[in-house]
Amino acid sequence: MTEEEKDIDLGNLFRNKLEENEMVAESDLTGRFMRRLDRKEFLRFNPARFNVWYLAAAAAGLTVAGLLVFTSPRNGDVSPGDQTSQPEMKVIVSDTEETVSTQNDKITPEVTETKSASGAVKAEAAPGGVTDRPGGIITTAGAAENKITVKGFGQKDASAVVTSSPIAFIKASVNTGCIPLHVRFTSPEAEGFTTMWNFGDGGLSSVNNPDYIYDLPGIYDVTLTVTDTRGRLSTATTKIEAWAGPTASFEISQNDQFSDDDKVIFINHSAGAVQFVWNFGDGTFSTLSDPSYKYRQPGRYDVTLVAYSENGCADSLTINDAFTDKGSFIRFPNAFMPNTGGPTGGYYNYRTDMDNQVFHPVASGIAGFNLKIYSKAGLMVFESSDLEIGWDGYYKGQICSPGVYVWKVRGTYRNGQQIVMAGDVILLNY
Amino acid sequence: MSDQNIIDGCIRHSRKAQQMLWKQYSGYLLGVCMRYATDRPEAEDMLQEAFLRIYFNLGEYSGTGSFKGWLRKVTVNTAITYYHKNLRHKHHTDIDDYVNSETGSRGFEEDFYTAEDLYRVLNELSPGYRMVFNLYTIEGYKHQEIAEMLGIDVNTSKSQYSRARAILRKKLDNLAKLKGVYT
Repeated sequence: MTEEEKDIDLGNLFRNKLEENEMVAESDLTGRFMRRLDRKEFLRFNPARFNVWYLAAAAAGLTVAGLLVFTSPRNGDVSPGDQTSQPEMKVIVSDTEETVSTQNDKITPEVTETKSASGAVKAEAAPGGVTDRPGGIITTAGAAENKITVKGFGQKDASAVVTSSPIAFIKASVNTGCIPLHVRFTSPEAEGFTTMWNFGDGGLSSVNNPDYIYDLPGIYDVTLTVTDTRGRLSTATTKIEAWAGPTASFEISQNDQFSDDDKVIFINHSAGAVQFVWNFGDGTFSTLSDPSYKYRQPGRYDVTLVAYSENGCADSLTINDAFTDKGSFIRFPNAFMPNTGGPTGGYYNYRTDMDNQVFHPVASGIAGFNLKIYSKAGLMVFESSDLEIGWDGYYKGQICSPGVYVWKVRGTYRNGQQIVMAGDVILLNY
Repeated sequence: MSDQNIIDGCIRHSRKAQQMLWKQYSGYLLGVCMRYATDRPEAEDMLQEAFLRIYFNLGEYSGTGSFKGWLRKVTVNTAITYYHKNLRHKHHTDIDDYVNSETGSRGFEEDFYTAEDLYRVLNELSPGYRMVFNLYTIEGYKHQEIAEMLGIDVNTSKSQYSRARAILRKKLDNLAKLKGVYT
């Protein structure tokens, strides 16, 4: 027999034996199932199956309801005679007058009303009662509950609970100012309530007394919403105006501080400003926009510019020791490589400096200047009294041989100081 | 009472018709459940579930096709639901049962095995194998349909079927040996 035939055989065996096979469901299984079916049928109420079970359930329901009605608390504890001796209480809240009377001592009447502007609620006992508050005035501040009790004749008291409703009120430390504008907001009446602040620029806070900083200029509507636990709410708004601030900026002209008659020119680059105060650092002030000033003494000065906007917002810029760096100095390089194409005359600019083809000092504050360069043999190969002209490495039209050359400079700074310096420079292999 | 009378009665929620339906078909459907269950109590649970479904969904029986076939289909579907519900509590694959080799060289003589024998070897199969074997061999579903019903891969259905077959053959052979007829 092949495997395939055996499979068919196996399948046939099961199919023939079991497909139509009937078993016996024992009677206890039948009973169990019928009970289960009944439960299901009962839960899926069906009028077709209306029977004693539904009647029984309805009867049970009615019985329970009846029991609840008859066992509920009765008013019999308080006789009508007692009720007349109940004190009555008037609670006057703002313009509204509410009379609260108690029907029996189990009820605590509750009075909740808009708080009067003064924050005071007057409660007075109706004839036959005495309040425990002299004058009947209670002050309701914040969310705290105030309880008034009226003593009556006999053992019955009445009491009313008065809660003030929230009042939103904004106090801002400042309403206008320059950015960054720091405002301290307070809500004096919001103690105990839920507060929500909207600062008008997208910022929110739920703190009672928030601090807030406006960093962009603009006019902002600030809204405070105060909510109590019952959902009563009150809102208040205020405006905050944040002004743009100026930017102080200036430049000191290339004119030298110490040239004989030249004044120093200050170039003002400030933005958003209409008023300026300059402090030149030697005790002299100016309110011009672009002042020029001649210092009496050379020295170290701190220059400060304060710029004011229309709204009085200020910004300042100080340049410390504004003149020293470009004051008086002379420095020499120690090597250069001449241009082999021929003498250039020693004129130099920033472009030839890149190639390092001309030997010249870097200097500032020079009044007089004389530069001499000697070969090792003692021959003077170059002399210049013009700071603008350096040595191009040529002597009488011939390029000098590589090697060490010695230089000497004499001169004066504009501040009167003498210059005498010497050194050497290497003419590099070209 | 004809099938149609019983059906109409059950739709009216007639107690008598319900009892008739149970009396007529519970034995047959219990036989179906036995093929899908691990033991008799499980089969009885399945049967109750199936009958509840039958009673509350009788309105959906179109009247065309065999009523018995419809009952069987609902019962098989109940067994599949039952299988899904209990899947995580059972061992899905019993690898030790898997025996590749065949020792027997002869066919299975129908009269040799009783229905109880066949139920027992089926009950001993792991639930997944049993499910696939039943649906394929007896219910006559294709592997593609079985895969969709059980939410498994077609190849899983095929391999489970062939393993179930191998296990069943081995078990039947062993049974024959025990009965002392196998020579």
